[in-house]
Amino acid sequence: MTTARLPAFLRAGHVSHCKRCLTGLPSSQMDHDGGRLGIGFYCLGTMDLLGSLQDQPEFDRESWKEWLWDQQTHGECGSGFRPSPFMTANHSEDEIIECTKYDSPHVIMTYTAILSLAMLRDDFTKLDRAGLTTLLRSCQREDGSFSTVPGGGETDLRTLYCAFAISSMLNDWSGIDVDRALRFVASCKSYEGGYGQSSFCEAHGGITYIALASIYLAPTHLSAKYLPTLTEREQTIRWLLSNQFQSGGFCGRTNKVADSCYCFWCGASLKILGASEFFDATAMASFLATCQFKFGGISKHPGEHPDPYHTYLSIAALSINPPSLDPLDPNSETWKLEPLDPLLNAKLSTAAWIRKHVPAASD
Amino acid sequence: MFDDDNEPKFFSERPEWEDVVPLEQYENMAPLAPIMYTPEYKDATNYFRAIAKSGEKSARVLELTEAVIRMNPGHYSAWQYRYETLLATSSSLTTELALMDELAVKYLKSYQVWHHRRLLQTLIRKPVPELAFITRSLAEDSKNYHTWSYRQWLLGYFNDENELWTGELDFVDEILAKDVRNNSAWHHRYFVVWASGVRDGDQDRERVLRRELTFVKQSISLAPNNASAWNYLRGVLQSQKIPFETLAAFVKPYSELFDPSVTDIIDVDNPRPSSTAQLPCAAAIEFLADVYEEQSKEEGERGAEGRLKAIELWKSLANEHDTIRKNYWEYRIREILAANKPKA
Repeated sequence: MTTARLPAFLRAGHVSHCKRCLTGLPSSQMDHDGGRLGIGFYCLGTMDLLGSLQDQPEFDRESWKEWLWDQQTHGECGSGFRPSPFMTANHSEDEIIECTKYDSPHVIMTYTAILSLAMLRDDFTKLDRAGLTTLLRSCQREDGSFSTVPGGGETDLRTLYCAFAISSMLNDWSGIDVDRALRFVASCKSYEGGYGQSSFCEAHGGITYIALASIYLAPTHLSAKYLPTLTEREQTIRWLLSNQFQSGGFCGRTNKVADSCYCFWCGASLKILGASEFFDATAMASFLATCQFKFGGISKHPGEHPDPYHTYLSIAALSINPPSLDPLDPNSETWKLEPLDPLLNAKLSTAAWIRKHVPAASD
Repeated sequence: MFDDDNEPKFFSERPEWEDVVPLEQYENMAPLAPIMYTPEYKDATNYFRAIAKSGEKSARVLELTEAVIRMNPGHYSAWQYRYETLLATSSSLTTELALMDELAVKYLKSYQVWHHRRLLQTLIRKPVPELAFITRSLAEDSKNYHTWSYRQWLLGYFNDENELWTGELDFVDEILAKDVRNNSAWHHRYFVVWASGVRDGDQDRERVLRRELTFVKQSISLAPNNASAWNYLRGVLQSQKIPFETLAAFVKPYSELFDPSVTDIIDVDNPRPSSTAQLPCAAAIEFLADVYEEQSKEEGERGAEGRLKAIELWKSLANEHDTIRKNYWEYRIREILAANKPKA
């Protein structure tokens, strides 16, 4: 096995980048108003992967939890989490505000909220489990896909994956028609071997992860006929591998440039398919090293502005597929991370917490 | 109207909004990742929250939601409310579509702007002029995922409109003529020719296959190191169940160094690489190795020859021409050796 030497992985810097973002975002980020909880998830997730979340002051941890629970809303179409109070009018603490159609729970945000709360080791006594399955039921469309919010919003494979992850975390699949959903996933397969975001769309690294993770999260008795055949699996592996460049970075579509987030999407897909050892994880780490901003955070391409999304996914990529480093190199210690559950996209100990606390207590 | 200089900047300063009590956003003590909103955004969303609560659907709501969307194209509630208001006020959807022509190009990466356009088009049902719009939008970003998905959705949704489909292959040809490495265009070609049913004039599938093979071979001869073209070739052969071996004569010269001694006889079926091409091409070596791997499944001498040649090619990829995937090529070698173990 080859071993390499890499520059230090700037753990403390990445943590402070995310802490800064948790404290406040500039007005240039206004277009993320409808996805704020997602940004919070990437920030908390970065700290979780780097093992520093439990060391944060108790006061901060409690207030983060409190804010997250504040986003759980209940309505006719079920319960779940909204991205932020961006559609909620000011009211006093004890006043109960009825959730309107325009302030409704959002499937993707609900997935990120549950993961975030698990990272903070919440006990989930406040989780409206029955409401969650109602939400999923009201978001599934005729063709098997899911809309982001009940009765509206775009539909694509991202939302379908979140619905699957939520059902898996609850250990309750009664909210979705799995067969219909998997039929939709199958219709998104492209001739290149990857999956596209809807039927007929171009193969895309992020969506391929979403598709594979969904298939493998589903209960085996429901997914058996949708598992890739031997030839299909080989074809998908070939395409995923072909996205890695000599630099070590991955692109998300054929002939595009390397982008740090695809080190996660493609690397995690390969892990799911049991093909991690076929690509060069050490070269990938050396590409990610070049995407680090020296004062913290990881960017899309070398030399650009860092953001929590690329920071989290780069670290997640390294957690799933760690580099082989020369143990004598003092920097090698800085690259050590706890392994990740590739299907839920959570650190193993966080995933174990979810499996224990998110399903309804059995009597 | 929103850009009119005479109009006060804030909705709170406009007399026609006097009857509405703005609603500030709720935020408890320690918000997670709060955004420093601009005063304009705060003002517009304060009014939008009030409108969403009262349920008013009127012309001024269109103005308000447009203002919100221009500051935050990802505000999905504003988009949803705007769509419902358009319907409730029986507003002109073609006027709306014209506005979207501007917003789509401005906010190419927003999911919502394209979703809104789909909703409008399912009501307007005039897909043909959309093609020109999409072409303009691709001029801004020729690989934009949303733009291409929208084109594929449009063609699929209005599948029976022949007029919509007639120019599609020429359109792909044009984009590929500008950039033969544009994978979105190759993907679209596959969608049009192979994945969306058989169109008028394309009933003779043998002819279509010949046409496509000629096209892809010529593209490879122009730019051999183009993964998009190789993936298309593989995709067509696999879906049409044609053995890779039938292309071996074409592929071979790309898997080797350029041979100047070969006289330049023009062979339309097997266009050769140019003298300036970067050879050998890893994709050609991989293709040829797949041909030999298939051959290795035969009995006797041919099988043994196939195995040896496949291994030799994979070794050259692992050690020289595609070292980043060394582990993969070595795995392929292990696999073929295991499959061909002499029976005890």
